[in-house]
Amino acid sequence: MMEGPNRAGQSKPMIPPFSPVLLLGLALRPVRPALLQPVFDHLLKVVRSRHPDILERLEVYGERSVCIDPIDLPFALILEPDPTNPRLTVRRFVDSDEVHATIRGPLETLIALAEGRMDGDALFFSRQLVVEGDTEVVVALRNAIDGAGIDLVADLTAALGPLAQPARRAAGAVMDLVSSLRGSVETVRQSFIAPALQGAASRDARLAELEAEVKALRKATRRGGVA
Amino acid sequence: MIRPELICPAGTPAALKSAVDSGADCVYVGFRDETNARNFPGLNFSRKELEEGIAYAHARGAKVLVAINTFPRAGHPQLWQAAVDDSARLGADAVILADIGLIDYAARTHPELRLHLSVQAAASNPQAIAFYAERFGVKRVVLPRVLTVPEIAAINRAVAPVETEVFVFGGLCVMAEGRCALSSYATGQSPNMNGVCSPASHVRYVESGRGITSQLAGFTINQFGLNEPAGYPTLCKGRFNAAGKTSYLFEEPTSLNTLAMLPDLINAGVAAFKIEGRQRGRAYVAAVVQAFRQSVDAVMAGRPLPDINLDSITEGGRQTTGAYEKAWR
Repeated sequence: MMEGPNRAGQSKPMIPPFSPVLLLGLALRPVRPALLQPVFDHLLKVVRSRHPDILERLEVYGERSVCIDPIDLPFALILEPDPTNPRLTVRRFVDSDEVHATIRGPLETLIALAEGRMDGDALFFSRQLVVEGDTEVVVALRNAIDGAGIDLVADLTAALGPLAQPARRAAGAVMDLVSSLRGSVETVRQSFIAPALQGAASRDARLAELEAEVKALRKATRRGGVA
Repeated sequence: MIRPELICPAGTPAALKSAVDSGADCVYVGFRDETNARNFPGLNFSRKELEEGIAYAHARGAKVLVAINTFPRAGHPQLWQAAVDDSARLGADAVILADIGLIDYAARTHPELRLHLSVQAAASNPQAIAFYAERFGVKRVVLPRVLTVPEIAAINRAVAPVETEVFVFGGLCVMAEGRCALSSYATGQSPNMNGVCSPASHVRYVESGRGITSQLAGFTINQFGLNEPAGYPTLCKGRFNAAGKTSYLFEEPTSLNTLAMLPDLINAGVAAFKIEGRQRGRAYVAAVVQAFRQSVDAVMAGRPLPDINLDSITEGGRQTTGAYEKAWR
């Protein structure tokens, strides 16, 4: 699995799904987080400008920092929602002691959550999302973001004026490419794990046989006979 | 046959729009304070957001109900009374109240304002309902989730023209609503007074090699295996050791789902179907409201119920028809 962020401090690291994002993460490993910082500065600026209600809802939690950890990327983000000076910092490593809380999950899941396409409680119930630390600030952040109606592509391209429409089309093409790649990646994954699945199926069958034998022996023992 | 209204939850303006766009007849909301039973971090409406939300809903033929359904602190009713005043001023279609003093205030101060009795008031028999209707002009009662369908039908026959509203989907309270003290015992805060059951400020999740442990104010509530679906960290849904056995003593993590029972509930004369979940996200609101919109429309048109799977958004990955069937009897 991918190393990075505060996963060293995790008691039970999440295993990222084998996906195009994981491959992207592997490709990004040599990149220094500082080089990515301007991207997230811009993202925060845009979201702050288009969705001021997010920070308003988080006003009382301005002093609490949250680590947002996409498990398939080699870096994590620290969000400090101070209404007057919010910050979104990219880091290679985040010690759990540095932040008040951590939200951890695959990047695509985190984006779907941010855009309101998936329900946070449902993701938590199904264990696709892990929350650690100060649950209150995580719940507040989830509610604030869900309530804002974020659309990352629309938000990021809105300031491009006449170029916004072509930029959205380009983003759509990238998403289509990722979708088609997902199918190919899944084929590769199936190919990789096929021997292991065959082994597991064989062990399951043997286990079932043994369980049946044990059951028969117990039954015979209860009757006082010998199997 | 009464065509039941679909009453849908919204914790944020975006969720309100999702509910309306997905086919809600009414959306119920709360203010961003302890006057409602979903006083969760980052949730609920400012006065301005409510005004805008009402305009959005009314423009599309939907109504907005405001839940002011906690019990005012003794000697300090002002916050709750202001919530009633502002709801009336901003054009809410009804307020959902629980406290008898607040209901009296609303009836006297805003006689034109439609009053609904919250499930928090736990009015579960014709005599209690008749008292609220006769004394304060309450038009609709949200029934506690402890009644069977035949019991609901009998109540409807006895209380007409007072309307009844029942929960059809979402989280369940196993206790008599408005009277549960479990959260208060553990955290000092309750849904009845503070609007928070098992407040997030007191919740911690601890991951380990064996799974996840949920804790509330230092009490271990539950431990879920590595791939076991999880539930809310409330005491009533905790798994405890008792008499040498580990089990759910009160209630398992599960969601109410009555999709298959809608014809029975409609035949029982229920006026409104309520979906629980103001604390849930827009994706939940859209999925559940669409499912119930399609299903209610199908029943009313005499068509078969559509086969809709809501497993992915249920608590603990499980569903129940709760007390409506009382299969344990």
